[in-house]
Amino acid sequence: MAREVKVRSIVAPGLSILFLCALIELGAGKVFEEMQEYFITLLPGLIVMVPPLLGLRGNINGALASRLGTALNAGLIEPRLALSAEIKVNLASSLILSIIASATIGVFAFGVNLLTSAPTIGVLELMVKLIAIAVFAGFLSGLILVLLTVLVAITSYARGWDPDNITSPTMATIGDFVTIACIYLAVLLVV
Amino acid sequence: MAIYRVKRIVLESFPVLTAGMIIALAAGYMLNSSIQKIAELPMILMMIPPINGIGGNIGSILGARLTSALHLGTLEPRLRGQLVLQKNMAASALVSFIIFLLIGAIFFAIAYASGIPIARSFSLALAFFIAGIALTTAVMFVTITSAFVSFRGGLDPDNVVIPIVTSIGDVLGVTCLLVAITIVGV
Repeated sequence: MAREVKVRSIVAPGLSILFLCALIELGAGKVFEEMQEYFITLLPGLIVMVPPLLGLRGNINGALASRLGTALNAGLIEPRLALSAEIKVNLASSLILSIIASATIGVFAFGVNLLTSAPTIGVLELMVKLIAIAVFAGFLSGLILVLLTVLVAITSYARGWDPDNITSPTMATIGDFVTIACIYLAVLLVV
Repeated sequence: MAIYRVKRIVLESFPVLTAGMIIALAAGYMLNSSIQKIAELPMILMMIPPINGIGGNIGSILGARLTSALHLGTLEPRLRGQLVLQKNMAASALVSFIIFLLIGAIFFAIAYASGIPIARSFSLALAFFIAGIALTTAVMFVTITSAFVSFRGGLDPDNVVIPIVTSIGDVLGVTCLLVAITIVGV
């Protein structure tokens, strides 16, 4: 017999979490707005990289959270905050992916800029700056968020919550904020 | 015995990540093309993480619920006579209506407090709300299509639906926002 699905039982719990996430995203938006000078005058073309860097962070962490959730539920990882071999492999892969994929985004963003607009600074300088910002922001946000993901997944499992339901939405939202802040920091250092 | 291997995770993930990157670059390119509008109205930037975040969350929750229902057999991958599908769609629509209304109201308050005239603050918030509703409609369509198509094709929709929905959702979020701002005439 199929259980009855009630609209209210889906709406009520979802609404409060979504509202909390939306408030954190507003904070991310505020940091994004603070960077307007860089997008408009200081380093035109920089904005091209922001959506891919945010998306990449979400995808790498989402996959990590999903693997950790499966591994915890299947008993492959013990719910203790210790660097076991399985956790090390997961951390290392996520960080390696962060560096390679961020550098790729830097190259792609440079390509898009070269094809679609006349650069306002030297071509080589633009390429070096875009790749440096992408790699620095990608690696730093990766390091912070990968550790947080492990922490959230293991603590939620240890408390008896299903990490599949907790880790992905929490980390997606915190991830956007941390990534934008890291991009801003990278821009301040590089430009 | 090690279950996970660095090489395998990296090699399996990279193609999917690259596909997501290329889709997201389109969103970045659109923002770069609208840089004049952004210079005039920097609050557009502040609206992007919330609209993409809410759109992605609504799509991910709907996607996770539909894929579970498909696995459990309480949902069949077709559109007619599917009560579970109808109720989930109604719930997603209701949640997004309430959330975009609330966040729209917050944007109105922020805009007005930052010295933008009341009429323009209102049209800015209205544009955000309209963009959110348009995005939800599109995200629901993408979620349901990708869940049904991947399930029918024998793929595990758990692996397919959420990456597709969040990547396409980011591009659609930026598109809906820029189009809504043009239509409302902020």
